Amino acid sequence: MSAVLHTDGLTVQFGGLKACNEISLDVNRGELLGLIGPNGAGKTTFINAITGFVPATGRVLFDDEEVLGWVPHRIAHRGLTRTWQSLELFGDISVRANLEVAATKLTPIKAVRDYFGSSQRVAARVDQTIDALEMHEVLNARPDDLSMGYRKLVGVARALVADSKLVLLDEPAAGLDRSETSWLAEKLRQVIDYGISVLLVDHDMGLVLNVCDRIHVIDFGKTIAIGTPEEIRTDEAVIGAYLGSSGGEEQ
Amino acid sequence: MEIYLQFILLGIGSGVVFAALALGLVLTHRASGVVNFAHGAIAMYVTYVYSSLKDDGAYPVPPLPNPFAIVEGILSWVGITVALPDFPTFIQMGDEWPWWAAMLGAVITAGVIGFLFHYLVFRVLRYQPPLAKVVSSVGLMLILQAAVVIRFSNRARNVESLLPNDGVDVLGTTVPMDRFILFGLMIAATTVLYLVYQKTKFGIMTRAAAENEQHATLLGISADSIAAVNWIVAAMLAGLVGILAAPITGLNPLNMTLFIIPALGAALVARFSSFWVAVWVGMGIGAGQSLLQIMEIRLDWIPDINLSQGLPLVVIVVAMMVRGQVLPSRGAVERGRLPLALPTRIRPRVMTVWLILMTWLLIWGPFEWRQATINTLIAAILAMSLVVVTGYVGQISLAQLSLAGIAAFMLSSLATDAGVPFPIAPLLAALVATFFGLIVAIPALRVRGASLAIMTLAAGVAIEVFLFKSDGWLAGDSPRRVADPSFLGIEFGPNSPFWFGDGKVPSPAFGLFVLLVLTGCFIAVIRLRQSMLGAQMLAVRANERAAAAAGVNVQGVKLAAFGISSFLAGIGGTLTAYKFGTYSMESFAILASLSLFAFSYLGGIATVAGAIYAGTLYQQGIGTLAFEKLFFDLGRYEAYLAGIFLVITALVQPQGIDVFDRRERRRIAWGFMVLWRRMTGNPDRTKPEWVTRIYPIYPKPQEAVAEAPEKVPAEVGEGGGGS
Repeated sequence: MSAVLHTDGLTVQFGGLKACNEISLDVNRGELLGLIGPNGAGKTTFINAITGFVPATGRVLFDDEEVLGWVPHRIAHRGLTRTWQSLELFGDISVRANLEVAATKLTPIKAVRDYFGSSQRVAARVDQTIDALEMHEVLNARPDDLSMGYRKLVGVARALVADSKLVLLDEPAAGLDRSETSWLAEKLRQVIDYGISVLLVDHDMGLVLNVCDRIHVIDFGKTIAIGTPEEIRTDEAVIGAYLGSSGGEEQ
Repeated sequence: MEIYLQFILLGIGSGVVFAALALGLVLTHRASGVVNFAHGAIAMYVTYVYSSLKDDGAYPVPPLPNPFAIVEGILSWVGITVALPDFPTFIQMGDEWPWWAAMLGAVITAGVIGFLFHYLVFRVLRYQPPLAKVVSSVGLMLILQAAVVIRFSNRARNVESLLPNDGVDVLGTTVPMDRFILFGLMIAATTVLYLVYQKTKFGIMTRAAAENEQHATLLGISADSIAAVNWIVAAMLAGLVGILAAPITGLNPLNMTLFIIPALGAALVARFSSFWVAVWVGMGIGAGQSLLQIMEIRLDWIPDINLSQGLPLVVIVVAMMVRGQVLPSRGAVERGRLPLALPTRIRPRVMTVWLILMTWLLIWGPFEWRQATINTLIAAILAMSLVVVTGYVGQISLAQLSLAGIAAFMLSSLATDAGVPFPIAPLLAALVATFFGLIVAIPALRVRGASLAIMTLAAGVAIEVFLFKSDGWLAGDSPRRVADPSFLGIEFGPNSPFWFGDGKVPSPAFGLFVLLVLTGCFIAVIRLRQSMLGAQMLAVRANERAAAAAGVNVQGVKLAAFGISSFLAGIGGTLTAYKFGTYSMESFAILASLSLFAFSYLGGIATVAGAIYAGTLYQQGIGTLAFEKLFFDLGRYEAYLAGIFLVITALVQPQGIDVFDRRERRRIAWGFMVLWRRMTGNPDRTKPEWVTRIYPIYPKPQEAVAEAPEKVPAEVGEGGGGS
């Protein structure tokens, strides 16, 4: 399998602090890769860096193309999309319109043609995503009115609908209870079945260990372990940095 | 060379006022996260109070609503003229007050104003988005400005100097002493404030609250009382400096109000946090303006275009270009939301009735009604320009009428001077306005919220000063004539002949033409809301970062919005020019822009139908005329009421009239239905479907929340807790 995303020495510096320090990571096609690490390990910064929201150095090859330094919307059009930890849905427009916005690559010409009635709508792809995630009943609701689980799902759907090759999920399980998390995990496995790769960042070890094919562990901006869930479960460095403390408390 | 030094030192006079206002802006921003556009107006109002007390011993009572006025109006229907009691306009206390007593009275007034602003308005709006705060402070600015105009008229007022202004020789030039005293007082005041905010517990608590209000509250700091004290201090300082500097700067209802713009520039450079930077930059702008004035006179290579008035805009633009989003964010949660941009559906029945009513008014209405209807229709188009840029994309633009003015000027040049035929001339004129709108938008692309409001306000003033004023670039030999439009041999200007009616100006032909243009704009903006571009606009409004991540070209969408909005404003401007038959700058002054913004927000800034309400209520529109016919002439109270309604709307019903009306209409109708059933003895108590239908404004949570599915897949259902 070739890598859909390949980062090489990705470094993000905030003043004197290296939030990401030379992170090199590969996401293979059709893979669900987990990225975990304790609080402040640089997980969200990593996502922000590859989606163009934070200036970074190093290399980011997406689908064999260097995307570092691109503006965010161009990266999204290329097929690298993301969700947000704090959701950040478009609260004023319906769920369907949320998806339509993300599904459209609006150029000035397209905007004008759409305005004058020749439909540039992307109904097919939106419907496909809605079918895939079984979210028919909330289509016409506004995201602000939905339960947390559904809002997370809308966030995921919005990232998927843009004809993505790779979706970066930033803590999709945060704020969900156990049954909602399981429900979300099931949806994520469905996404993989559609041939989309996923990079999952989460605190919820249960979710990450259960659904991911491989796991990448970082701490203080540096990679400390890579491996299958079984390997990570027993990795000394990981236990020391992460599971040793927080995993113990949770149980 | 000495003369330049002399003018730099002379400029300290106004520079101190800018500095004091900038300092006040920093204080109030720290206190409650508000950019107080009314701060200059506070200084102006307080100085008027001082001057009135000192010269006449009369304390001006702010205009209060008098219910008797309505009664008088109603009695006049049946021909009874009575003079019922009214609130006093002034409270007379002796003849002249000594300066210190007048100053004390005025500064106490300032403190009260500051406290009331905080307590009644900004405390309530604490968790609202910046739009609501900007709207309210603009409303307060309109209120103070209009209150002074009502009580003291528009004329400048002479204020005697309290400070000695004997000449002092400095480096070979002579400068009045008062500049140095003001400078010294300002430095002393800033030092005291600086020490208080650095060293005392109160100062540290203020900074803590400004840094993170939530955390400060958790630590037992009452962010509320701290904010109140800061507001009072800021207002008193503004009033005091206004009183001391008024003899130098001059005093009229507008000039000191607009000192807010250089003050905003200084506060922006200071990032709304550093006292010293705010004070020095404020003084620097004053000195720089003075220097530019003399350079314009003395140096031939500098064009005489009021360059000094552009300095604040330059400071603001540079501060924004260099620093991007300069307003520091506070750790306060925004619980409020922007007005909902509900799609306006074209309801054929409502629209037909409305069109028939307008047509009837325009053809058979008496000339004053025709005039008012035309005013309403044009104002509705102008309000639509705000619906696009502020309602759909959330970008606050306070310069819409300046853009309209540019189009009006272009129209008079193209149609009258160059003889460009009808549809081309106004369209070209509107395109020129679009071009200017885009110029304003480019530096604004990186900022939003209050910063953008500052930027557009400064741009509006700059356009006014540079282009419209008597010695500006565009003014030329104003008033300039604008020829009546005609197309294919049909004339439809305000003076054109028409088959029916009384033959007076304005001609029904022009009215129908305006109605046609409005209907076109109405449908076009509704269509925009439904288009993909409209959806992207709302996405940008909701969340710029998320929109970018979803593949929306945020800057492109903003530019498109500014472009469309400026074009609409331009269309409105050309119609205004046709209406008057001349081009004159008064219709496009900055206060008119603010007033338009006020009415647009009042009508409902995020919906197209809201723009129609805005037009109806707009100054000299149908609403005003109807009120005048029913009760009494509002006259000078119009701007005052606009400000009051604006603040009330922001506080109580940020959705504006349109959405309020849509939501309440059903409830009211249902109330009447229940009453009717009771009166007729109908035992039926079932609610019809239209009452219970959820209207997508604030659906009740239990009705709208979709339950997460219950099915839990077994293989991942367990083990949520780790290894």
